[in-house]
Amino acid sequence: MDAQTFAGLIARAGDKAYNFAFRLSGNEQDARDLVQEAFSRALEHAESYDSTRPFDSWLLRILHNVFLDAMRRHAHSRTVSLDAPSPAEDASWADLLPETAESAHDGMARRESLDLLQRALERLPAPFKAAVALCDVEGLSYEEISAVMGVPVGTVRSRIHQGRVLLRRAYEALETNRGTMS
Amino acid sequence: MNEHIEGVELSSLIDGALDAAARARAAAHLSACAPCRAELESLRAFKRLAADAPRRALPADLALRLERRHVAAPPWALLTRPRVWAPAGALAAAALAAALWLRSTQAPAELPLEPLVAAHEAAAGQTLTPEPVLVASADADSAALLADDGAGGSAE
Repeated sequence: MDAQTFAGLIARAGDKAYNFAFRLSGNEQDARDLVQEAFSRALEHAESYDSTRPFDSWLLRILHNVFLDAMRRHAHSRTVSLDAPSPAEDASWADLLPETAESAHDGMARRESLDLLQRALERLPAPFKAAVALCDVEGLSYEEISAVMGVPVGTVRSRIHQGRVLLRRAYEALETNRGTMS
Repeated sequence: MNEHIEGVELSSLIDGALDAAARARAAAHLSACAPCRAELESLRAFKRLAADAPRRALPADLALRLERRHVAAPPWALLTRPRVWAPAGALAAAALAAALWLRSTQAPAELPLEPLVAAHEAAAGQTLTPEPVLVASADADSAALLADDGAGGSAE
């Protein structure tokens, strides 16, 4: 593959792939590994790519499979990295917030909300986490999510809703714990 | 009042994934059901919070690494990689060692001097003849030394 073509693929799908990988893994190192492996698999199996469909959806599907493979492989040995709260060295969503004109109190509250949300998302089981991330973070349609996850649209619908309910439950539990600890 | 709207329907409504008829039914129910409206707003709040999260961009160094790993390099790029030269150097060293070994196992070749001499003579315009070997005899050396001494002695 020539440099120009590959640079175009990275420009088109690189950010989306990395953002999705980060939401799935919850930390930078795993996200980098997921993206590298996804690009490798994509290029190794380039002949199976249907050029009439969006490249980024195809890449996200591969990345999702890479993630599921990693989850299975490390189910017993490395669940900390993929399922636990993000390590201290990784910046949370809240850390990425740009400085705005909002009041300090509002900014702090928002940062805390986003931090809690990320930690809650990381606690979701993989199928629900992927569905919620693809829908609410990446903004994909149910049909696109169905293609990425390789499940029927009806399953996507139920996973998204169930994922939101679980997310809310985890968020509220974290919020309660924080309140009792402070 | 009708039964409450199923949660899946509420999420689909939030995501714009209901058809027109289902959307109309949901709207009619929501207008009269506060608990369903509250649930709808709660789910929507979480969707908005996730959607508002800052996005992570692909790190520049990772993009560069991917490109280096997957893009076919032009042929001349190989020449700039030190690792490429390592096997070439090893091969050259092996070839040199083999040549020296072969040379050591063969009798030294007779060098044909005649053509070289002829060429040199043609260039110099003269014939190379072996110079006479001067064998200094002890007597001659002694005579010379004595002569020097004699000169030195006369000076005194």
